[in-house]
Amino acid sequence: MAELTGIYTASHTPVMLNFPDRIPAELRTEIFGAYEAMGRDFEAGRPDALVVLSNDHLHNFFLDNFPALCIGVGESYESPIEHWLKAKRRVFTGDQAFGAYLLQEALKADFDPAFSMEMVLDHGSLTPLELAGLDPDLPIVPILFNCVQPPMPTMRRCYQFGKFLGEAIRRYDGAERVAILATGGISHDIATPRMGMVNREFDETLLQLMEAGDPEAVVKYATDEVHTAGNGAEEIRMWMAAMGAAGGLPFKRAYYKAVNDWYTGIGIGHFGRNSLPAVETVNG
Amino acid sequence: MSNWRQMMPTTEAYLLDKALYELHHKPDDLAAYNEDKAAYLARFRLTPELAEKISSNDVAGLYEAGVNPYLLRAHCIGMRIPEDVSLAALRSLMKEGDDKWLN
Repeated sequence: MAELTGIYTASHTPVMLNFPDRIPAELRTEIFGAYEAMGRDFEAGRPDALVVLSNDHLHNFFLDNFPALCIGVGESYESPIEHWLKAKRRVFTGDQAFGAYLLQEALKADFDPAFSMEMVLDHGSLTPLELAGLDPDLPIVPILFNCVQPPMPTMRRCYQFGKFLGEAIRRYDGAERVAILATGGISHDIATPRMGMVNREFDETLLQLMEAGDPEAVVKYATDEVHTAGNGAEEIRMWMAAMGAAGGLPFKRAYYKAVNDWYTGIGIGHFGRNSLPAVETVNG
Repeated sequence: MSNWRQMMPTTEAYLLDKALYELHHKPDDLAAYNEDKAAYLARFRLTPELAEKISSNDVAGLYEAGVNPYLLRAHCIGMRIPEDVSLAALRSLMKEGDDKWLN
């Protein structure tokens, strides 16, 4: 029986690594500090394995064969795949047995994920792991959701998958302590006329609903309003899954800032009995 | 505005997507493209008009043609189109109300 040591949600964007100087140094330090604070809390839980919920930005998958959901069952994962991403190349260790367990349990629970024994991880997984300063040798199981090419799985389906995932992890005998990192969102547009215009009202409402602890209201809001928050906001599917995995544990934001010049509503949060320490912001 | 130009891609958008995907993923393709753009793009079943949108870095035109935004974004960064140039091209297509969160 594994203990879930922490369930974290965090935005990702390649701009953090490629164009960090597009925002003032003080704000950049604050944001990077928020990721580091998440990393310190994560490490305090001493997890044996990490399940990363993220999305593939059309690197592993293309429109010739695009899974709604894919569980990684690889021995290792190279990252990043983007030739243009300014990040150190690294290889993450895969927890193959854990991935195989989750895959088989998912099928038994009537979910139909694809699986991959050879995936590469892009900035979606790499950026938050890198900025949080997490141990690169910690074994991982990546689970990738389609958030980038319609038609996509519904927010509700992602929440339900998360519920399954949390229960399956807690039943797992192969690790004592497991953490989940859900990355993506919140409001942002990629390569649209709205790019660089973060819908902070959407983000604030979403965070408030999550903190209020009413998953049905969160799923409904995400479903009904995501079109106002940008194509990148479709990535909150991973936040829905994290909420499902939390199984009623309270959510608290640790950091939020709408950063138009990084094109993204940067949000970091945590499901658990304890809150992450809140990060002081430049402008209060 | 909707988050997506097309809820199911057209074949034209698919072919544009395919060209951009292969260009930035297959070994040697970027070099081949930079060597001779027209010859490279002839590998795909693109009309001359669609091929021109790629070779001329017509960011707004590619968006309007329904190219997947992540492939378009990767292409802009991969081809080193200046951020402010690609942003201005996309924003030239803004409609009333799209700029609600500009500031």
